[in-house]
Parts: sequence; structure tokens; C-alpha cells
Amino acid sequence: MFKKALVVASTAAVTAFSGAASADGTLDQVKQRGQLSCGVSTGLAGFSQRDENGVWSGLDVDVCRAVAAAVLGDSEAVQYKPLTAKERFTALASGEIDILSRNTTWTHTRDTSLGINFAGTNFYDGASFMVMKDLGVTSATELDGANACIQAGTSTELAIADYFREMNMSYSPVTFDTSDQTRAGFESGRCDFLTSDGSQLAALRIGLADPSNAVILPEVISKEPLGPVVRQGDDQWFNIVKWSLNAMIEAEEQGVTSKNAKNRTVTGNPANKRLLGAEGELGSNLGLSSDWALQIVTQVGNYGESYERNVGKGSPLQLDRGLNQLWSKGGILYAPAMR
Amino acid sequence: MNTFKPAPDRAPPSQTVGPIAWVRDNLFSSIGNAVLTIAVIALLVINIPPLISWAFLDANWTGTTEADCVKEGACWVFVSAWSNQFLYGSYPEAELYRIHLMLLVLLGVIVSSFTLPKTIRMKASITMWLALPVVGIAVLDGRMLGLPVVSTDLWGGFTLNIFMAAASIIVAFPFSFLWALGRRSDMPFIRTVSTIFIEFFRGVPVLSLFFMGSVMLPLFFEQGTNVDKLIRVWLVLIFFMSGYMAEVFRGGFQAVPSGQYEAADSIGLSFWQKTLLIILPQVIKVSMPNILATFVMLFKNTTFLLIIGIPEVVQTLQTALANSFWLGGHALEGYLFVFLVFWASCFGMSVLARRIEQQMNTDKRA
Repeated sequence: MFKKALVVASTAAVTAFSGAASADGTLDQVKQRGQLSCGVSTGLAGFSQRDENGVWSGLDVDVCRAVAAAVLGDSEAVQYKPLTAKERFTALASGEIDILSRNTTWTHTRDTSLGINFAGTNFYDGASFMVMKDLGVTSATELDGANACIQAGTSTELAIADYFREMNMSYSPVTFDTSDQTRAGFESGRCDFLTSDGSQLAALRIGLADPSNAVILPEVISKEPLGPVVRQGDDQWFNIVKWSLNAMIEAEEQGVTSKNAKNRTVTGNPANKRLLGAEGELGSNLGLSSDWALQIVTQVGNYGESYERNVGKGSPLQLDRGLNQLWSKGGILYAPAMR
Repeated sequence: MNTFKPAPDRAPPSQTVGPIAWVRDNLFSSIGNAVLTIAVIALLVINIPPLISWAFLDANWTGTTEADCVKEGACWVFVSAWSNQFLYGSYPEAELYRIHLMLLVLLGVIVSSFTLPKTIRMKASITMWLALPVVGIAVLDGRMLGLPVVSTDLWGGFTLNIFMAAASIIVAFPFSFLWALGRRSDMPFIRTVSTIFIEFFRGVPVLSLFFMGSVMLPLFFEQGTNVDKLIRVWLVLIFFMSGYMAEVFRGGFQAVPSGQYEAADSIGLSFWQKTLLIILPQVIKVSMPNILATFVMLFKNTTFLLIIGIPEVVQTLQTALANSFWLGGHALEGYLFVFLVFWASCFGMSVLARRIEQQMNTDKRA
């Protein structure tokens, strides 16, 4: 409670004397600097991760790259600031970063009380269950009386308690401090199932000695929409981030990919041309050049490409699209009309 | 003439010399000891072979990706593939010579402050030490020297631990000396301020100080004035360190016999002449073991920086463990590597510390 009050008070304090700074909007600052400063996680498989050569990649990182491509025309012009969960909102409020793209769940409390705006959802996550195959369980409803491996202090802990109470089932929690320990506990048979967010489960599953022996159950028991976050009070910048993400989703829906985007500016249908800046004024309305979305799609790819490359079939995580499929294909991804 | 020739010594009873006797005396001298010996041997026999086969015989040594780790044992490929990250963070490979250069300079300054001719040693080494952080920042960052700029978000790895520790202790050194003087001062205001400062930074856990540096400090600056996170943390380390060292120095001051103060007063030296020329050299000599111990402590404390996302070596290891192409569980290999580099450096420092102590110990013992 104190922590929240502190963040609120500090954000209020910062917004109080940010009058001078807001005359110079975030867009101008980024252009002047020539680099986008992007807050990411210190390491989350598939979302924001650094490789052996120090190159950042991931679904969250692609949001940073997309905004950099739209604003600066170069998806590599990003300065990544790895942040812990505790620091992230302060870093945003103090202006240390321009965007926070760090698997942050969009909640009412955060959106309304921290002086921040969620610019959309780039991944719909939710708590789920993983069991060993030989347990013979195919649905979470069969887990009555089981032992649960949980990482202490996570929102999953709350979600699973709610779920079991609602279903009139019982479980005994076995809590661990880190996700490594949780996995080790699950593997050694301390518990019957492991529960965590779906994206996290996929990463934990790969780390098992025999990943094929574990299955992730179909039930998703909580809502964890993750998305990029910006400071309140700079609507132009908010729009840029929001529509950069929407452009990736819209591009997938229109079938525009990193390979065919260049051609589509000439041969595409009117919607393609509007998106890619060959017609209309979408770019100048945002204060960007007309080829902003073209830069995003050619340099970063559309949402589907980014998904498959980082967490989907083209990656070790092998996550299904699930909820993160387009609305027209059974998911809930839906970009507002691009016109 | 007959000289007396003593008969040659008889050999001692065969039961009391040689390996058998040694074993009997040291390992099986009583029933309790015999049981202990057998238990320890059993433990070693059970545990050592699997450890050796895990770490060496069945280990994977060559390759660049996780797929190269096919054997049962340790995946040292993980450590070798990530070694650049573990040692230098994301520092550009073409610029690594700057890190090596600074490490050499650091080593050179350490060595020369103990080997320069005595006539110039004091002045030269003080100048070198005080210039070192400035030179270090200039070389590593590059902006001031016209080299390609390497911003601090790219610094990392084990060398960051070394540089953070060295840069903090160097700056903290003169400050802590002043705090210690202040605490011994007769002037109530200076004494109170020094005492409060020292006790605050000694009484607060370094972790909470790091959180303050990373989370609270930015809120006191105006938006847009971004003081680099690394610099904020550096300030915190300097404060923390000077609080600790001040107490070390205070101990040193108290160890100097009061006759030294009185002798200095009697020949009419001013306060600063007395302090700098008579007292300080003796204080440093007396405090040297504690100063080095404090430094080793600070050096190890730099791993706490992981809690605020600074990519020092343990943080980098955790980042590596979270990479989706290395999810096979290599925590053990990684932490062993960190363990080894830290142990090697700390052991090296304590060997060096012993040498320094022997060299400085000119009066007390032979």
C-alpha cells in the first residue's frame, strides 16, 4: 500500500513540475536524441531477451523497434533499459524511458492511479496449468485435491486461489522463490501440477529434462493482457505508440508482410496503400512521415511474423496463437479501422 | 689413539614411523576418529567421481549453441558462448581494448603505489589514484576523448563489478578520511553532522540504498534531467563505502599514540601539517588490513546491483538463463563460473593484501 502511495505521490510530483518539459513533447525529444529509450525486462524468454552478442529480441522488444522504425525510420535506433518490476513505473514517470514495454499487465488500478496510459495489448496472457503426462489429467477440473507448485508473490497465487474456490475444489500450495526452483520442484514430483502465466509455462516446460512428458492444460484462469505503456499527458506520443502496434496487427490482417510490403505500395488494394502511406494522411496526422507503417512492416514485420519469430512456431517456445490470433481467425486481436 | 665412536642410532620401532604410523596417529587415534575418518572417506568416494564425471569427463566443451550440449554432464558451452557477455556485457567488441587498457592502468597504479621510489611515492600515487576515475570514465565512455561513444547501458559483466568497486573506493577514500576527522573534531556541528552521516550509511542495508538510488532519486530531479542510472548507483556506493571506511580510519586514528600528536604540536606544526604529515601516514599503515577487507566486501557487494537491473555479472547470468535458446537449465554451470571468477579475484586480493601488510610493517614485527 505504501509503495503504491509513494509511486502515486511521486508521479504527481513529477507531473507537477513537468510543465516546462511537456512543451518539448516526447516525439521531439526522441527525434533530437536520434534514439528511442525503451524500458524492457531484464530477461524474459521470448519477450525481451539479450543474446550472446548483446542483441535484444522478443515480442516486447519488437514494439520498441516498431516505434523506432515509425519515428526515426530505423528499428535499430533503440537504447534498451533493462528494468526490474519495481523500477518500471518510476523510470517511466521520471522520463528515463520513452516507452515501457515490459510484459506489464493492463489493470484498472495501474491505468487510473499511476499517471500512465496503456497503448494497447501486444500479448493476451493468463494463468494456466502444466501437468506431467503420466498423471492422465486433461482438464483443470480434474485437479481436485492436488499439490500445486507456485512461485511465491506472483499474481498467479491469487488467481489459482480464486479459481479453486469458485470450482469448489481444494489444493495444497507448495511455494518456491524463483521460477527455477519452481520447475525443479515440479520435476522432482513435489507437486502434481505447476501453475504460472501461459507464456512463462512454455519457457519452464522447455527447461524440463524431458519437455515432451509435460502438457499445458487448455484452461486459462485469469486475464493478463500485456502491453506497452507511456506517460500520461503527451497524447501525440500516446497515439504514435498505440498506432504503431495497431499497424502491425492491421498489416497481418491485410496480408502485408515484411517481404511484400514494398510491392503493395504500388500493387496493393486501397486499404494497403492507405496503411503503407501511398495514399491518405495517416502518417502526417501522427506527426510522422507518410511511410511510417511501411518502415515498421519492412523492418520489424507484421504482428504474426513477430509472434512466430519470438514466441511461436519459429522459436523454441512453440506457443500457439490462441487468444493472440486475429479476430477473423478465432482470436481477439482487432485493430481499429486504419483510415 | 682410540677415539670414541658412538654406536649408530637404532632405527625407531617400525610402528612409530612412516606412513602407517602417521595414519594411525592422525586418522585412527581413537574409535571416534576412526569412525569419522571412514565416514569422510565414504562421503568423498560417493561424491567425487560423479562430480568429476559431471564437470570434466561427461562435460560438453566445444560448440556455440545449446544443441551442442549432447552429453549428460556440464554444458560448459553455455559459459564459453556467453563469456563475452559475462566479462564485458554488451560493450562493442571493437572497443574492448579500452576495457583491457583500463584494467592494465588500474593494475599499474596499484603496483606503482608500492614500488615507486619513496621520495615521490606519496605524491605520485595520490595523484594517480585521484585521476583514475576521471580517466576511466573518459576512456570507457569515449565522449571526452573523441572516441566512439559507448553509453553506460552497454557496460556490464564482471569488468563492471571491478570498475564499480574500484571507482567507488577511490572516491570514497578521501571523503571517509574527512568524515573520520570530523567525527573526532572538537567542533560540535561538524562532529554531529559526521556522526549522523556515518551512522546512517552504516546502519542502512546496502540493498535499500540501491533501491533509493534507482527508484527514489530520479523523482527528485526535474523531468528530462536524467542522471545516468550507473552514476546514481555509483554515488550510493561512494556514500555507503565512505561511511564504512570512516570507521576504519577512526580506529586507525585511535591507534596512533597521543605522544605523536603532542610531538607534532610541540614543534609548531599547523593542524593540517600535523594531520597530513604525521598522523595520516601512521593511520594508513595501521588501517591497511581493514581497508583491504572493506574493499573485498564492497567488491562482492557489487553483485547486489542485480536487484536494480544493472547488468553486472550475476544479472547477465540471469539474463542468459532466461534466453529462449538456452532454456535447458544451465544455472549450475553459470553460478560455478561466477563463483570461480569471484573466488580467484578475492583470493588474489588477499594474497596482495598480505604482501602489502608485510611491506608496510616496518616497526612492530620483524
